[in-house]
Amino acid sequence: MQLSTIFAPNRVLDRRSEQFIVGAWIALVALTWAFSPFVFLPKPGEVFQALHDLWFYQDLGIELFTSMRLNIEAIAIATVISLALAYLGTIAVFAPLVSFVGKLRFLSLAGLGFAFTLMTSDGHALRVSVLVFMVVVFFVVSMVDVINGIPKEQYDLARTLRMGDWETLYEVVILGKLDQVFIVLRQTAAMSWMFLATAEGMAMSGGGVGMLLNTSNKHFHLAEVMAIQIIILILGLCQDYMIGVFRNLCCPWANLAGGK
Amino acid sequence: MPAYTENEVLLQIEDVSKEYNGHLVLKKVCATIKDIKVVGEVRGQVVGFIGPSGIGKSTLFRIMAGLDQPTSGRVVIDGEDRAVRAGEVGVVAQDYPLFEHRTVMGNLMRAACKRYPKKESRERVVAYLAEFDLSAEAHHYPAQLSGGQRQRVAILQQVLCGSQTLLMDEPFSGLDPIAKKKTQVLIQKIANLDDKNTIIVVTHDIAAAAAVADHLWAMGRDHDAQGKVIPGAYIVETYNLIDRGLAWDPHIERNPAFAPFVQEVDEKFAQL
Repeated sequence: MQLSTIFAPNRVLDRRSEQFIVGAWIALVALTWAFSPFVFLPKPGEVFQALHDLWFYQDLGIELFTSMRLNIEAIAIATVISLALAYLGTIAVFAPLVSFVGKLRFLSLAGLGFAFTLMTSDGHALRVSVLVFMVVVFFVVSMVDVINGIPKEQYDLARTLRMGDWETLYEVVILGKLDQVFIVLRQTAAMSWMFLATAEGMAMSGGGVGMLLNTSNKHFHLAEVMAIQIIILILGLCQDYMIGVFRNLCCPWANLAGGK
Repeated sequence: MPAYTENEVLLQIEDVSKEYNGHLVLKKVCATIKDIKVVGEVRGQVVGFIGPSGIGKSTLFRIMAGLDQPTSGRVVIDGEDRAVRAGEVGVVAQDYPLFEHRTVMGNLMRAACKRYPKKESRERVVAYLAEFDLSAEAHHYPAQLSGGQRQRVAILQQVLCGSQTLLMDEPFSGLDPIAKKKTQVLIQKIANLDDKNTIIVVTHDIAAAAAVADHLWAMGRDHDAQGKVIPGAYIVETYNLIDRGLAWDPHIERNPAFAPFVQEVDEKFAQL
């Protein structure tokens, strides 16, 4: 491996070189963290101690399970709603409605929390609703972009094969872009973790890591905050990996190279 | 050259004009393809449709396919008293689009099931795969195919769907001489699967089109006294290659009359 190669744009490296670069970055980040001059940044030892305390004295495991369950439930509902909306958006009469839903991503939850509280029956429903709303508005926009990016040739192909409008929707849009659904899901599911603290903060009694995070943050327990963030990061990466595995299982064509 | 007759009209372009935002692209285009009958032979029709880039070939292509509507006029197939509809004419686009999420078998079954019951569809697909040397690729996805394999699958998809009229957009584009020859053989093979099969090859490769076609349409535009182009393309010349003794010969390039003919069309092409 030549040094000039790793600093040049658009170079394809072998696996060993890639692993070396990743390892070097991890070492650099770890060293920066360990020897950081910022007094407010907890040291690795403090974070691991906080993680130990959270796990054994504050039921971090149970709170994680609560958050994961909430997240999966919200993502599942949001996926169904978003896909239904995105596919409906191909029908002229619904297109403005779908476009409007996408525009709602600019709204802040600060003013909407009260409305959601009034509309839901309990804390869990409130959390799910907030998360679903936050995910749907982004999911819909991404899916509409995916659908708008379908080349005209694909629709022409369906038409020349005597497919009707609904059949074309199924073949070209729903089946044809199934692999892209997983990519969008990957992004929005990650965003769902970002919104989790907000959603759980709106109904603290339900527990969850978001509640723990809010509490630790409020009391300025930065080591705990960082420990929880690291756990969320690891969980998010696992979630990302699992969605990738599902994508490969459901869409074996997705990662094939273009032509021989 | 065997004796032949041309009677039944298979495709008729009737005064087709097309405007985009007030700009006239096609001006009263007229052309006819008739069923060629040769005693004792199964002989489909192959028309080479040539013209310079950007002249309106693709516009007419889409109108013939029923994918776009003309501003006036119509395209009629099989003597029907109405304009052609999408799905009645097969289309093999330049990049050979296929359903990337389906295997070769899946792509062909999707087409065949439009015409035959499922069991019969499978039998026909398997037979075509064998005939066109694609059996080994039956369970491959389009992304795993070579350009030539992809081309054959795209053509078979349209044939299996039941389209006896097939439009091919630039099938020789970017091919080396060997691949070009293979495509010519493939076009002839598909055309001669049935008497009524008609293939219209849209191309600007005059020699390749002349080698495979029985008729050539040359699309062009008129020029005014100053040599300026008058908007609105139409078919300015039709060449009957059968009458010239230049059709249906797999080794036509060796015919002494072929090169002068290509030269003649080439000179005409320069004025289009």
